[in-house]
Amino acid sequence: MKDVIVQGLSQAYENLVRMLAEFLPRLVVMLVIILIGLLVAWLLKIIVRGILRLTKLDRLSEEAGASRMLRLAALPKMSELLSRSIFWITWFGFILIGVGVLEVAGLQEQISRLLQLLPEVFVAIVILFLGLIAANFLSRAALLASVNAGHPSPKLLSWLIRFVIWIMAISMALEELGVGRQTVIAAFSIMFGALMLGLAIAFGLGGQDLARRFLERRAGDEEKEKHEEPSPL
Amino acid sequence: MADMPVDGLWYKDAVFYQLHVRTFCDSNGDGIGDFRGLTQKLDYLQELGINALWLMPFYPSPLRDDGYDIADYTSVHPMYGTLEDFKAFLAAAHERKIRVVIEMVLNHTSDQHPWFQEARSSRDNPKRDWYVWSETDTRYQGVRIIFLDTELSNWAWDPISKEYYWHRFFSHQPDLNFDNPAVRAAVWDVMRFWLDMGVDGFRLDAVPYLVEREGTSCENLQETHEIIRDLRRRLDEGYPGRMLLAEANQWPADVSAYFGTGDEFHMAFHFPLMPRMFMAVKLEDRKPIIEILEQTPQIPENCQWCIFLRNHDELTLEMVTDIERDYMYDEFAGDKTMRINLGIRRRLAPMMENDRRRVELLCGLLLSMPGTPIIYYGDEIGMGDNIYLGDRNGVRTPMQWNGGWNAGFSSADPERLYSPLISNPVYGYQSINVDSQRRTQHSLLSWMKSVIKTRNSFRVFSRGTIEFLDPPNHRVLAYVRMLGDEKILVVNNLSSSAQAVELNLRQYKGQIPIEMFGRNLFPRIGELPYLLTLGPYQFYWFRLRRI
Amino acid sequence: MAEDTFLGDDFLRQLMNVGEVDLLVGIPSYNNAETIGATVQAIEDSLRQAFIRDRVVILNVDGGSTDNTCEALLGMNGKRGTGARGLTSLRTVHRVSSQYANAPSQGSALHSVLAAADLLRARYCAIVSPAMANPSAEWMANLLRPVHQEKCDFVAPLYRRSKYQGLLARNLLYPMSRAVFGKKIRELYADEWAFSGALAAQCLGRNVWQEEAVRARPEAWMGVTAICGDFKCGQSFLGPKAPIAAGAGPDIVEAIRQTVGGLFWCLEEQQDYWMGKTGSESVATFGPEHELTADEGQSLNADKILEMFQRGVNELEPILSPILTAETHAEIKALAQQQEGFRFGVELWVKTLYEFAASYHHSVINRDHLVQALVPIYRGRLYSFLLEHADSSPEEMEADTEALCGEFERQKPYLVERWKAKAEVKT
Repeated sequence: MKDVIVQGLSQAYENLVRMLAEFLPRLVVMLVIILIGLLVAWLLKIIVRGILRLTKLDRLSEEAGASRMLRLAALPKMSELLSRSIFWITWFGFILIGVGVLEVAGLQEQISRLLQLLPEVFVAIVILFLGLIAANFLSRAALLASVNAGHPSPKLLSWLIRFVIWIMAISMALEELGVGRQTVIAAFSIMFGALMLGLAIAFGLGGQDLARRFLERRAGDEEKEKHEEPSPL
Repeated sequence: MADMPVDGLWYKDAVFYQLHVRTFCDSNGDGIGDFRGLTQKLDYLQELGINALWLMPFYPSPLRDDGYDIADYTSVHPMYGTLEDFKAFLAAAHERKIRVVIEMVLNHTSDQHPWFQEARSSRDNPKRDWYVWSETDTRYQGVRIIFLDTELSNWAWDPISKEYYWHRFFSHQPDLNFDNPAVRAAVWDVMRFWLDMGVDGFRLDAVPYLVEREGTSCENLQETHEIIRDLRRRLDEGYPGRMLLAEANQWPADVSAYFGTGDEFHMAFHFPLMPRMFMAVKLEDRKPIIEILEQTPQIPENCQWCIFLRNHDELTLEMVTDIERDYMYDEFAGDKTMRINLGIRRRLAPMMENDRRRVELLCGLLLSMPGTPIIYYGDEIGMGDNIYLGDRNGVRTPMQWNGGWNAGFSSADPERLYSPLISNPVYGYQSINVDSQRRTQHSLLSWMKSVIKTRNSFRVFSRGTIEFLDPPNHRVLAYVRMLGDEKILVVNNLSSSAQAVELNLRQYKGQIPIEMFGRNLFPRIGELPYLLTLGPYQFYWFRLRRI
Repeated sequence: MAEDTFLGDDFLRQLMNVGEVDLLVGIPSYNNAETIGATVQAIEDSLRQAFIRDRVVILNVDGGSTDNTCEALLGMNGKRGTGARGLTSLRTVHRVSSQYANAPSQGSALHSVLAAADLLRARYCAIVSPAMANPSAEWMANLLRPVHQEKCDFVAPLYRRSKYQGLLARNLLYPMSRAVFGKKIRELYADEWAFSGALAAQCLGRNVWQEEAVRARPEAWMGVTAICGDFKCGQSFLGPKAPIAAGAGPDIVEAIRQTVGGLFWCLEEQQDYWMGKTGSESVATFGPEHELTADEGQSLNADKILEMFQRGVNELEPILSPILTAETHAEIKALAQQQEGFRFGVELWVKTLYEFAASYHHSVINRDHLVQALVPIYRGRLYSFLLEHADSSPEEMEADTEALCGEFERQKPYLVERWKAKAEVKT
């Protein structure tokens, strides 16, 4: 009996020691991976930040009004935001890899799924962000054009454009994540929205002048107005 | 005269040389050139290649208008020799195939002429009506006065016969009355006198003013043309092959009236072209030349323009616009002493700042353009001028034959010469003279000889048509002279820098240009624009041949 | 060199045939076949009268006209008065016509002209609009003479105008550019101007030809470059400014985008120059400095202008708020509410403009949007101006403009302060 207990204990001890002997190096490996991940992520952050500064992304987002929204949400600058998210995403990926090394049953599968999702999450974030910028820029362009042309309801038009672009951006982001197939189908079902987006982009980017003239003509008093305003130059 | 070939159109092919007997060579050491001296120098002229001489007036005269005030139409001024000397000269010239054209002033005589002396002696004198008289000075009101600087009226008071007489030029030059048949007969007698002697033609001075009519400008009148037609008819009947050259400083369109239908003058000067050749080179732009030639009317087949660069008068700027005149003055006569009347009293070489390339370019233009060229004595060696001599005497200094005593012109004391020699370091006779230039193949004189020789060997220069090419580079003047199958392409760079030019020669496709001075072949003309490059002031004469 | 790449072979060949010139007249065209003939005729007449001895080229740079503008120009060659004696001009007057590859813009046209001027070593240049109503030989000479004889490097035109012509220039462009750059040039924005070869070479070397401000209004940029490069500037009276046909010229929004946008851009380009400058000095002026004629009875709907100001200020509130300081924005909003005794004072007007300029510098929002947001505010000022000067004499209007200029100069330190302030926060 005693032997059995001793044997059991020693077996358990041996098992524990063996497990520990097996687990400890993995833990060390995990920690090393996480540390390396930290280093890699940090380096990536520095590089991305440098590149973004070179491309003057901040000024772009400033002009588009995105920076102002970031400020309102107490978020850092555009380039800072992007480089930081790169950092976290990278490090998080390394942490997951590190945890995978532990070979905890069941965890493996979850981790690999998470890892696969990571880039998609990132792309979705970027899509949302670009959508935000585009919506802001185009709606403002439309607002200015219609105000200056004396169009009756500039705010409505501006808001409509913003709304449609948001819808598009969100549905595209969800599609990227693969969680909103129905939403995408729904989005396609609102073809009108897409049409409006096309129009908005055309109006906003393709030809601000053309759009303005179009609006003026719609207002119906282009000729009259020119007579009413003294020649500027 | 018998030894001269009878070619009715000789004047079209001629290259003229203009000189004053006084300036050329002095044989008797009195400091004034004479016919014997001139005769001695005929070999030189033959060597130069010219084949006609135009002599300035050599008649007895008080010389108050450089000999244009003639006191005796049928004699030679004793300073220049005797009538016998003239005859000997004429024979010697003809022997060398050089024709001689003399000056004939028909419009007026000197007041020293026996005709006028008789006419003024009394109102009843038979010669009274040979001149234009009037009791008042109010006839022919409004007729312009030509010598505005010196004359107040066209009428002058004769204190002897107590009447006014008409004169278009100086008051010592009374106008002959061409309404009087006796005058016309006398004038023809004078011309016959010289024609019988063998003279080849006359340069008729002051042609537009022969006849006066009330209420007109008294210039270019129909009656004047009739008188000329009459003279021409008599000339053609009695003396075929002789020539009449008109001096009429007018626009080509007006001058061309003096060609009539080929029944008035044989030749007339093209006055407006001359300043424009200078202008074109200075502006580095072919426009002046092309424009004036485009304004020049066609003339009858048997007639010819006389073209020249410089002559014994100032470079006349009457036939230019005010803008052009100002430009010419500023560019060529910055020093006011270089200007006289409406013109510039300078010679060719100094006006070109002694630049051989420009002198050659201008001579090349003169010898390749349509018309009979006239070379003024001394310009073939690049003689200078003396702007400090009065009137136009600065361009009438003695010919520079060599670097010796009086430049070889005369054996007299230098002080006795009719005019001081040019003796400055640039144009002085020590450096610019015939002898020194004869010694080198590359002197201006040698070059002139070769270019005149080339011209003389192609009739297309004297009788051919001209067609201007229109290359986009306006600093290049290019034209094609054509006579039958003979075609010559002339390309001139009017600018001081190297130029490339693309000539549209498609209509001469397949022909080969042969450079006429070196006889070198150039690439065959094809479909594409013909590309030529020219150095500063360079020009080419190409014979186009289909080989 | 930059010009090697954008001048076509045919253009170069034409220039080669022209060779060195003294005087170059550039005509940027785009579908001007109807008027270009008369313009070129007037130019040639005036060259014949005033610049007879100069080597001249008339250079048409075309933005790809579809109405045979170039042919209309070149087809006139060889026409001359019949019966003329002597020469019509001393020299060949060259006409060169070329189309540039880019989309039609004044800047691209000027770029080609400058490159040609450089290649031809032109000493004096002028740019002339092909759409002049009644070109006379006189004004061309007036434009070129200061460059030709008075050694000016940049010559702006001066016009005789009717009272209600050029109000943007009167209320904004002239006083502001004068206060900022310190030179009293009245018409920095014009279709005709002249410049020296030295200035042309200087401008050609700048790498700004893709900038919208330069593409749209190269003349103002050139003027500012001249001022800031210490070139000698001048202005010359040309005669009446051709009235712009209804619907033809740029409308007010486009005009403001081009001119004010261009001015703000120049401000940024040359900030090192103007920051330390105070006051303003006269430039050499040839002819009368200004001439105003009585109003031609233009029908102006002032109420509509006021309404557009009020609505614009209300609707654009979120856009204006980051551009203007809270205080200025409040003042303008109050003004938009006001019904009786409306007056947009010069002090507020100048302050508003300086804040716009500074916000442009700091890129508070998209710069083009920023400039467009100025349009309703300008309408407010315009309405106020029309009210004040309904019965003013030309002298009174001049005095008023002078006062406005004074206000711009007085407040310039505020501009400098705003210009620098935000930058410090940013870093």
